[in-house]
Amino acid sequence: MPTVVLMDVSLSMTRPVQLDGTEEFQRKNLAVHGLTMLFEHMATNYRLEFTALVAFSSLWELMVPFTRDYNTLQEALNNLEDYDKTCLEPALQGVSNIVQQEWGSTCPCQVVLVTDGSLGIGRGSLRHSLSTIKHRSEDKKFPLPFPFPAKLYIMCIANAEELQNSDTLDNLEQLLSLNGGEGQIFTVEGPLCLKNVQSLFGKLIDQAYTPFHAVLRCGNLSSDVQVFPRPEPVIMDEEVDPAPRTILTDLEIVGFIEIGDISSPPVLSRHLVLPIAVNKDVDEMGTGTTDETEEENSANQMAGKSPNFCVLLHGSLKVEGMVALVQLGPEWYGMLYSQADSKKKSNLMMSLFEPGPEPLPWLGKVSQLGPTSDAKENPYGEDDSKSPFPLQPKSKRSYAQNVTVWIKPSGLQTDVQKILRNARKLPEKTQTFYKELNRLRKAALAFGFWDLLKGVADLLERECTLLPDTAHPDAAFQLSHAAQQLKLASTGDSQYAAFDHNITPMLTDFSGSGSSDRDRM
Amino acid sequence: MKMFSISHKTAFVVDHCPYMAESCRQQVEFDMLTKNRPQGVIPLAPVSKSLWTCAVECSMEYCRILYDIYPTRKLVNFIVSDSEFHILNSWNQADQSTQELMAALAAVGPPNPHEDPECCSILHGLMAAVESLCKITEYQHEARTTLMDKADRVSNRGRIICITNAKSDTHVRMLEDYVQETIQEQNKLAISSDRLMQIQQCELVLIHTYPFGEETLVSDRPKKEISPVLTSEVHSVRAGRHLASKLNILVQQHFDLASTTITNIPMKEEQHANTSANYDVELLHHRDAHMEFIKSGDLHPAGSTSRDSGLKETVTLKWCTPRTNSVELHFCTGAYRISPVDVNSRPSSCLTNFLLNGRSVLLEQPRKSGSKVISHMLSSHGGEIFLHVLNCTRSTLEDPPSISEGCGGRVTDYRITDFGEFMRENRLTPFPDVQGSEVAGKVPLERAKRQLERHTRYWPMIISQTTIFNMQAVVPLASLIVKESLTEEDVLTCQKTIYNLVDMERKNDPLPISTVGTRGKGPKRDEQYRIMWNELETLVRTHMGSSERHQRVLDCVLACRSKPPEEEDRKKRGRKREDREDKGEKNGKDSESERSWQESERLKAALERDREELAEAEVIKDSPDSPEPLNKKPRLEVEDVQPAEKAKGPVSLLTMWTNRINTANSRKHQEFAGRVNSVNNKAELYQHLKDENGMDPHENGKAMR
Repeated sequence: MPTVVLMDVSLSMTRPVQLDGTEEFQRKNLAVHGLTMLFEHMATNYRLEFTALVAFSSLWELMVPFTRDYNTLQEALNNLEDYDKTCLEPALQGVSNIVQQEWGSTCPCQVVLVTDGSLGIGRGSLRHSLSTIKHRSEDKKFPLPFPFPAKLYIMCIANAEELQNSDTLDNLEQLLSLNGGEGQIFTVEGPLCLKNVQSLFGKLIDQAYTPFHAVLRCGNLSSDVQVFPRPEPVIMDEEVDPAPRTILTDLEIVGFIEIGDISSPPVLSRHLVLPIAVNKDVDEMGTGTTDETEEENSANQMAGKSPNFCVLLHGSLKVEGMVALVQLGPEWYGMLYSQADSKKKSNLMMSLFEPGPEPLPWLGKVSQLGPTSDAKENPYGEDDSKSPFPLQPKSKRSYAQNVTVWIKPSGLQTDVQKILRNARKLPEKTQTFYKELNRLRKAALAFGFWDLLKGVADLLERECTLLPDTAHPDAAFQLSHAAQQLKLASTGDSQYAAFDHNITPMLTDFSGSGSSDRDRM
Repeated sequence: MKMFSISHKTAFVVDHCPYMAESCRQQVEFDMLTKNRPQGVIPLAPVSKSLWTCAVECSMEYCRILYDIYPTRKLVNFIVSDSEFHILNSWNQADQSTQELMAALAAVGPPNPHEDPECCSILHGLMAAVESLCKITEYQHEARTTLMDKADRVSNRGRIICITNAKSDTHVRMLEDYVQETIQEQNKLAISSDRLMQIQQCELVLIHTYPFGEETLVSDRPKKEISPVLTSEVHSVRAGRHLASKLNILVQQHFDLASTTITNIPMKEEQHANTSANYDVELLHHRDAHMEFIKSGDLHPAGSTSRDSGLKETVTLKWCTPRTNSVELHFCTGAYRISPVDVNSRPSSCLTNFLLNGRSVLLEQPRKSGSKVISHMLSSHGGEIFLHVLNCTRSTLEDPPSISEGCGGRVTDYRITDFGEFMRENRLTPFPDVQGSEVAGKVPLERAKRQLERHTRYWPMIISQTTIFNMQAVVPLASLIVKESLTEEDVLTCQKTIYNLVDMERKNDPLPISTVGTRGKGPKRDEQYRIMWNELETLVRTHMGSSERHQRVLDCVLACRSKPPEEEDRKKRGRKREDREDKGEKNGKDSESERSWQESERLKAALERDREELAEAEVIKDSPDSPEPLNKKPRLEVEDVQPAEKAKGPVSLLTMWTNRINTANSRKHQEFAGRVNSVNNKAELYQHLKDENGMDPHENGKAMR
């Protein structure tokens, strides 16, 4: 989940902060201090996160495009200059464009807006933007909600008391609700000082940037892992099941499936599963402490040499071309597989399926998947030549069952032509002739299209008269029999017009002499 | 994403009154001229569909598309109205299919034009539709039972699609009022019933249809709120293809569908089998498959309008010839069922049959900039075709640290193949959903988890951590002991395996004990067996609680471990012998030979590195610091023969060569078994014993066998 830091560099950010006896700070200094702390945290605990830095006043500028290089970000942060007034709307539009250009519109993002809470006056102010929001033309729509799923974190370098004097908080809350309520507003508690700004950003870190640690298990084998990016809670049906679902920190493998059988399933999100060495001390100290980096590094080196289940699992999944089905919560599953990037590096990846008992129709209910050893016969065959997947649905789809649609005249004409073509090749094509005839008959009865039955009956009778002398005598018999049956059906008489009734070929015997029959015609 | 939205229940009400028997006045030629037709035949008069036929076939098409895309959870109740109402199916999932409806419609037949129009009314059907919407569906019932005290979260909404021939706008208003009143009445009734639910929201879609060439007496009206519960909209359309395209648009609106046209589909021509022309096929699917286009505003690429389906828009995607294979795991963000707009046209059925045969097609998105992006994939799974949405933007997970850089990444001897075998054994397979299986604790997935637990009770991850899993001789026991229950035969097999190991020990067969991480020669032979037995005991012990038979296997292991006295005796002697060998090895001359051998080995290693860039670990093994190759025995034997020669002077070429070959061989496991069986070597070994302790005919005899 990439992050955009949207930093207010308007003049109001340079307002000095009253501090007792220490050197004078600007709000901007406090903001930079807070962001430095965030960047340091990310560099150690969340280093795969892509972050971009945008500075804005009346204009906006992309200071650092998306990167994992936190030194560059820090450097740019330290060199921010001061500009004029605050115009949030164009800046948000800028963020929207930057994110879409880089990640498209499906990738969820986090936007961290750092401001002092003075959101401008008059035209270009947030208040003005929000008041005109309903009177916009299509091309000048307010950038929120973003086209991509986004969390908006608003870091106010101001305390709640001073913000209460204006309508800032109302405006910001409106901004959040425009974003579908996704995000949070943070304000400084107590007087503005380095310590309180630290705790402000500490709250953001706890909220949005704590790494997700879990235990990956396969029976008695297990490994401590970090799942990156952090899996976000999912809401399935806001009405029936409004509580967001979060994945368990105990990820249990339930079995294995071939890649061909799981067959490019749709997934909610993808995550790297990185094995970690759990250092008990670090855990107890909590996150956010940076002094232990070196210790951790040496611990990591040690950990590199002791066998880890993730590496074993990854290796075998890659070699065998399989995925591991993993349970993420009650009725929620995902899959683990080896993902190789273009540089021949590969990694253990986890994809989350949509929560529910049956995320993939072709696997059926996941709870009904069991060990092959329980089956009477090995469903994969003794030589691995078979597969129990995909599961066949109970009913066939229209395109798989030769349905009759006569909405376009061509549909009807094709069906009549098929009957005629077969009629001319009687008696060889007797079976197909009757099959097509019955298909037409069924549809005509269902649609109440009795005129068609009469019409086709006439058609068959005429065909009968046009039969060449060389034709087999049976042809004439079958044609007139079929015509007669259609006529009877077209009366709607329940005896002949039953839907399930099929016209069967007339039983004829031409082994003896058929000439007398022919004379009778 | 609401499960019980308005589209959960659709009640179709089709007018079956006498005037619906009227012709729609659009003629269909069905007697087409063909090339081989005799001259002078006058074609039969074209036929014309009745208003009823038009209404029924269009509503069937609506249902066809609906059932293709939502095989479950979106339900239709079909009602026909004349002098009374006829309900053709129920909300039950089993009744939801076009075949079912077609059969029921055939039983109803076309309207009787001679029936008294005064007795007939669409009102009967509308009343039945409202009543029906109050009825609880299987899904609503299930959701209510699972939610228990929160059952009120399950809503009851629905839609009534009424196809009729109205007389005027006033008539239409009368129909709306009637529906509104009926809802109020039925809702009162529903309060006191378990099987009924109050209608919270109802959408009435009135479709007035009239013959071609007539003036309409009813005007179109967009959706308007009649009451908080009821909204209503009026569509006035001519029968025939106009009605068809109207219902096609409605089914898209009602079920959030969108259209994609697959273009440039190469298809063999019927007449010219060796040429192929390009065709287009239009598909409907959930509109989320276009999410990326909708959001990025790319929804209207040049020339993306549907030809004649009357739809407002369709997205064009191009058939991509480099096909994909099924073993590739695409990053796919959605998969949506499709339904072809023109299901039995030749291009459509060619495409669907191609896909149903198990092939997948990648689809390319024509971009304004001209760059190619593969954005979708068509693929069938078990007879259903899905449009997969592929991720085509930059990934946030690019350039991750390789797994070899992380924890456990430096370890090189993982039991990858063995774990692969383990995964194959633990593959999943679907089991039929049997009622009551949960009670018996036999949910298949739980059984799968339990199997994984059993199979991993003792599972060393790396080759150097295990002896027994490197031994072919242990396989029968190892694969049986993890079973939930053992048969007598299984126990027997396990016992045989154990006896076989005892036999191996008696014969003093070498074991594949890993010496990684240990200095010197590694453990002695009897120490090796002790390690092996310990490991085997650990494995079997983890399963002893499973059943009495598992316990018996453990008993067998324990019994066989305790050696008979003569065995112990032999062991002691064996140890003495090995001590002596150790001393021999410390001999200065011996190490001299070692050194010269090492030099030649280094030369060879350097050569090899140049030639095929051997893994570093391989080379390191030969350096003096690294542990000795596991299988030392054969070499010792050779050395035992050599001393006389060695004393005479520098090491002979033959000795160096033999040493080299021995070392090379001992590094490979495959060679191991072969050498074990080598009769000559064994004979040498026991000869040695004999020299020291005199004749031992019993043991020697065995060894020579």
